Amino acid sequence: MKTASSPSAVSVAGKSKPKTGIRPTLPERIFNVFNYVFFTLMGITTLLPFVNLIAKSLSSEAAVISGIVNLWPIGFQLGTYKFVLQDAAFMNSMKISIFLTAVGTALSLFMTTITAYPLSKPRLRGRKWFLLMFIFTMLFSGGLIPTYLLMHKLHLVNTLPVLFLPAMVNVYNMLIIKSYFEGLPDSLEESAKLDGAGNLRILFFIALPLSLPVLATIALFFAVYFWNDYFNAMIYISNPSLKPMQLFLKELLLSSGDFMRNETLNVDAALNTSPQSIQAASIMIATVPILLVYPFLQKYFVKGVLVGSVKG
Amino acid sequence: MLKKSATLFTVMALGVTAAACGGGDSDSGASSSPSPSASAAATHAPKPELRVLMQYDRIDPNQDYTGKKIIELTGYPVKYEMLPAENPDEKLNLLVTNQEPFDVMKLNSAQFYKLATAGALEPLDDLINKLGPNIKNAINEKSWESTKINGKIYAIPETGSGIAISEELIVRQDWLDELGLQVPTNTDELYTVLKTIKEKKNVIPLVGSKDSIQSLLGDIAAAFGVTTWWVDNNGTLTHQVETPQMKEFLTYMNKLYKEGLIDSELPLSTSAKAIEKFSSGKAAMYKLAWFNAPNTINALTKNNPNAKVSVIPFLKGKDGKAQVFANTGTTWFIAIPKYSKNKEEAFKFLDKKLEPAIFKELAIGIEGTHHKVEDGKYIPILPKFNEDLNYASGFMTGVDEKNYPTYWQARVRKDPILTSYFEKFQENAKGLIVTDPLALAPPIPEIAKNKQKLDKLQLDNMLNFITGTQPISDYDKFVAKWKAEGGDEMTKGANAWYQSQKK
Repeated sequence: MKTASSPSAVSVAGKSKPKTGIRPTLPERIFNVFNYVFFTLMGITTLLPFVNLIAKSLSSEAAVISGIVNLWPIGFQLGTYKFVLQDAAFMNSMKISIFLTAVGTALSLFMTTITAYPLSKPRLRGRKWFLLMFIFTMLFSGGLIPTYLLMHKLHLVNTLPVLFLPAMVNVYNMLIIKSYFEGLPDSLEESAKLDGAGNLRILFFIALPLSLPVLATIALFFAVYFWNDYFNAMIYISNPSLKPMQLFLKELLLSSGDFMRNETLNVDAALNTSPQSIQAASIMIATVPILLVYPFLQKYFVKGVLVGSVKG
Repeated sequence: MLKKSATLFTVMALGVTAAACGGGDSDSGASSSPSPSASAAATHAPKPELRVLMQYDRIDPNQDYTGKKIIELTGYPVKYEMLPAENPDEKLNLLVTNQEPFDVMKLNSAQFYKLATAGALEPLDDLINKLGPNIKNAINEKSWESTKINGKIYAIPETGSGIAISEELIVRQDWLDELGLQVPTNTDELYTVLKTIKEKKNVIPLVGSKDSIQSLLGDIAAAFGVTTWWVDNNGTLTHQVETPQMKEFLTYMNKLYKEGLIDSELPLSTSAKAIEKFSSGKAAMYKLAWFNAPNTINALTKNNPNAKVSVIPFLKGKDGKAQVFANTGTTWFIAIPKYSKNKEEAFKFLDKKLEPAIFKELAIGIEGTHHKVEDGKYIPILPKFNEDLNYASGFMTGVDEKNYPTYWQARVRKDPILTSYFEKFQENAKGLIVTDPLALAPPIPEIAKNKQKLDKLQLDNMLNFITGTQPISDYDKFVAKWKAEGGDEMTKGANAWYQSQKK
């Protein structure tokens, strides 16, 4: 048992160090300028493919086919977006994805947090053993086929829960939350106990509100995971009405231009390929929602919430 | 402990989905498939629900017009599921290993062969004789050959839209006119035309794609006599790799490549890339597939309104004759799994779908609504035809082989450019078509085992010989390697079946 932490342990963020007063020499400054320019360019390079995709999705199909679209749309049109948004199969998969992300994130966050909290308390009996069991699953798993058989026996194949139930406790994220909980001052819990709060109350009313930054981060991890997960859906879902969007998208992109399977030409598939501009629009529509999650979670990524909760 | 939590989880999951899918979702995924009860009382019930496994398509077949129409016309409630676009074979294995209760499966030849030899499919001979009058009428004696393994039929063959030629060389006619050139009729003239274009226009004379062996062969190879996979030499089959014609063709192509008459990026070029170069006016000649014609030609005229394109008639060989290889044969195999609970009903359902009137409606819809007939040709009524029937082919389980090629052409007539190129190609190919001697063979184990590997070897080496990475003098070395890696075995297997047919 640690005693109450010393005041120095409570870091005060936001206070920058005082300047030392030595002005950077000319070579240093040149180096800095070069650094800034170089890394700005690097940053822009990573954005280029995305910009190209946006341009393609807004260009006329003729321009896209001729390969003349770079960073600016040629033959501007919005028909592609209209087409994708009216595509019943696409919108259905969008609905599935949104549901999956919302429910999956909420459930996973809850389960992972209530797993992490007791494991962060040294007084838990057999804590080491429990932790070992959890970490064991990080390193070893039954493999794909046995897992599939298990899901099959649980009658989860071809249902939506199969996509979030097995992923409810992510050990890696659990360890992150656990170590954050461990960083909370013990004196908080002690004082709450003195005031007559039970374990659950302490968790929900003291520990969790203080852990918003880590919870927001992990929520984001989960949301991105559920939004982008196509692999599990590919394995467990063969009912087309239950396909999440990433799977739908992946198959859409894969199947175009591949009508020569086992060299019998599949003419009908060839006739039905989606134009590249439609594909680009589909990717855009599938990517934007998850990008919008970031700014909303941004405000929780703040440090220093602990300041003032315990008198130093 | 574990069991308890598992039950708890399942209960929780069902609770969650039931709660979540309550709103307006007619088909919630919460209802897991009921475990089959031991009593087979269900077989006496009228028209059981059938589960059909399809190949990948981009639609939800349970919501699609054709899917619903099939239920209406056959009276069978059908639930469709699909293989994924990626790793469909692995998924299929999983499903079959777990005996997922499917009643009908639509398989490609490799999948069919694997399941049939593993004993996972029901032999259909008795069912055909007992319950398949429509199926018998619809499908030719010849086509059944392709679904026989050890003399028993294990699937209904689906041969698709009949023989259709898909690719032919096209050329920028406006440039030919400008340079005073004639459309080439044989390989020597082709060489002259390409050379002149190279010197005078400074564009890529010929673009191609490395997507498959067939995309490297085509018109030019056919002029050298390389067409079918297998060649009949006095009653024994030889693979195209082992023919002197192949070597001649590669020598010619290497000459073109060396002199810069073929796109230097050929070994990396996909068909999309090639179309890009042709439609943006960087290339003069390309082997176009008619289904890519609308895109390619529209893009070209947009970039250059004065561009004119003409189709080069199939090139003549040394003997003054042209020939064209047409890929025919069975594309899909419609099988009933051994463990299906409704084998007879499933078969009745398949037979019902091939009743002439029902088949016609499922293929091209209702006259006056989806299509009209003009001088014996079926013309689609747009946009209704596309909205309802764009994906109808995926639902087919065997076709009316006499009429389907005629019905199917309605699909081509939805766009004037598409129609004109399709019809032009077929017209040019009339009387020149050759088909593979193994087109209607059942899956042959020696071929199934080696084909994929050997095709890759052949494609890579063809590209090497064309680009000169390997000198053509090494060709015999490649053939020896090809034989050692399974070519010999494949040839044996092919001939064994071929001889058995001769008797």
